[in-house]
Amino acid sequence: MASEKKLVKNLEVIKIQHTLVYYLTNTVDMIKINNLNFGYSKHKPLFKNMSMQLSNGHIYGLLGKNGAGKSSLLKNMAGLVYAQSGTLDVMGFNPAKRQPALLEQICFIPEEFYLPSVKISAYIKANAPFYKNFNHQYFGNLLKEFDIPVSQKLINMSYGQKKKVIIAFGLATQAKLIIMDEPTNGLDIPSKAQFRKIMASAMTDDRCIIISTHQVRDLDNLIDTVIMLDENDVALKASVQEITEKLTFKKVKEVDDSIIYAEPSLSGYNAVMPNYHQEESKLDMELLFNAILAEKIKFKPLFN
Amino acid sequence: MNNTFNINRFGLLLRRQWLDFGKIYLLSLIVVFGVLVGFYVTNIPKPSDGLPSMDDGFISLRFRYPIFGMVGFLFISILASSYFTNLGQKPKAIIDLMTPASVFEKFLAGVFYTTILGIGSYLFIFYITDLVFCKYLNNTFSAFPPVHIGKNSAATLVKARLLNSEMNFEQYRGFACVPVMVTSMFLLGSVYFNRFHYIKTAVSVFIACSIIGYVIYLCVSKMGENMVKITDSGNNEQLAFTIIFVSSAVISIFFWVITYVRLKEKEI
Repeated sequence: MASEKKLVKNLEVIKIQHTLVYYLTNTVDMIKINNLNFGYSKHKPLFKNMSMQLSNGHIYGLLGKNGAGKSSLLKNMAGLVYAQSGTLDVMGFNPAKRQPALLEQICFIPEEFYLPSVKISAYIKANAPFYKNFNHQYFGNLLKEFDIPVSQKLINMSYGQKKKVIIAFGLATQAKLIIMDEPTNGLDIPSKAQFRKIMASAMTDDRCIIISTHQVRDLDNLIDTVIMLDENDVALKASVQEITEKLTFKKVKEVDDSIIYAEPSLSGYNAVMPNYHQEESKLDMELLFNAILAEKIKFKPLFN
Repeated sequence: MNNTFNINRFGLLLRRQWLDFGKIYLLSLIVVFGVLVGFYVTNIPKPSDGLPSMDDGFISLRFRYPIFGMVGFLFISILASSYFTNLGQKPKAIIDLMTPASVFEKFLAGVFYTTILGIGSYLFIFYITDLVFCKYLNNTFSAFPPVHIGKNSAATLVKARLLNSEMNFEQYRGFACVPVMVTSMFLLGSVYFNRFHYIKTAVSVFIACSIIGYVIYLCVSKMGENMVKITDSGNNEQLAFTIIFVSSAVISIFFWVITYVRLKEKEI
């Protein structure tokens, strides 16, 4: 009886290990969301039957208006809130169970966070051992790059400095799923550039990075896929390449029928139009964001 | 990887929790020590006060019992009530919940710090304080006015009162689980409530006890209606203490189970 129990336990352990190895060595959907229904009250749903898949090897930019549910979606993925119905699969685990095997593969950088009143070395000593792949040298390099005073107590640091410490810690855990909620809030201009550089270098084929932000310009040239939330669902999920293949972003003097959406600018209009002639243009995320919110129906057929 | 319990991970969690909770614990312990010393200094008999009050051949130090109970209750309840306070504050709760340890390990760490370490350290601090003052009394006994001390020698006059067989420690075993029950209640309160954990838990416990007490009173009154007492066999003390022990143990386990479930279901 005892040996049978031990065998079942060993099989469970092997299953978990195999699941993780599979998810970390293949290009697969790391996150599978199926018919997710979620809301903080039953009468006011935030997501209605939301479905989406996110794969490794990508940096996703999660955009949406205030209250669209960006942070809530990230919390669902991290298992910090529970769905009312539907399924959410993160690397083969149900995040709601908060299993250590999954938690050590998730780096969650919240918008508001707390760091204890200790020095960085004490913080690392207490927290790093939970992550078996924690890279101390990489952490040191990131701190140096972010210009963080290592001997200072965390409590005495500015919000921006604390944010850099928590980002450096999260990346050094070598977690495969990196979730960041407004990571550039509180960072000064040089730090934002450093952040983009560090995130680009942190991207590997076995990692999936999801960044939610209001400041779309902070993610310029960093994200490869845009996810836009609106009206309780995913309004757009497309790679930057797909968007620029299907749409062109131009400055025009006058608005005509071919233009899907335009915004007045100093020298005419910033316009979004279908890319009939395979022209090359740079994705203007702010313009796309406003365009999708204003003309959702017109864009739908292009990205289905 | 065992996703329910791993001794190494549990050890790491205890060390990590010490970073946050350790300061609250040590500060509380220092305050408790100061309060105990204060009470002893003001209540202990002094030669200048004249003849100390005697109780059955021993110097009476009865002030110790209410102090032990009240200070102990406050210490262990405040400690338990502050363990999971982080979960009431979003920024702290996210970091705590995302720590790669199982819910069971996080719960066990709570039980360890509040019940085992909390109660254990209070007993230790109280014992040390009491021992020091008893030693002091025994050593200075000759300074007191002459007094009839019965069969006891001056050297053992006070110390004997502490560990005296007349204290009948057997009967106090019935209360062994009461402090555990107190910590389990306040630990649940610290998970359940997001703010003002201590007050809310205390009020909830007071209301629950009042309702339960009233219901028991009503039931007993109803059952005893129109009945006449025909025997006077005396109270079965042993049975009463056993009931206290078992019921406090069962209630503790009940509260711990709810705490675990609440911790598992905690959302930010």
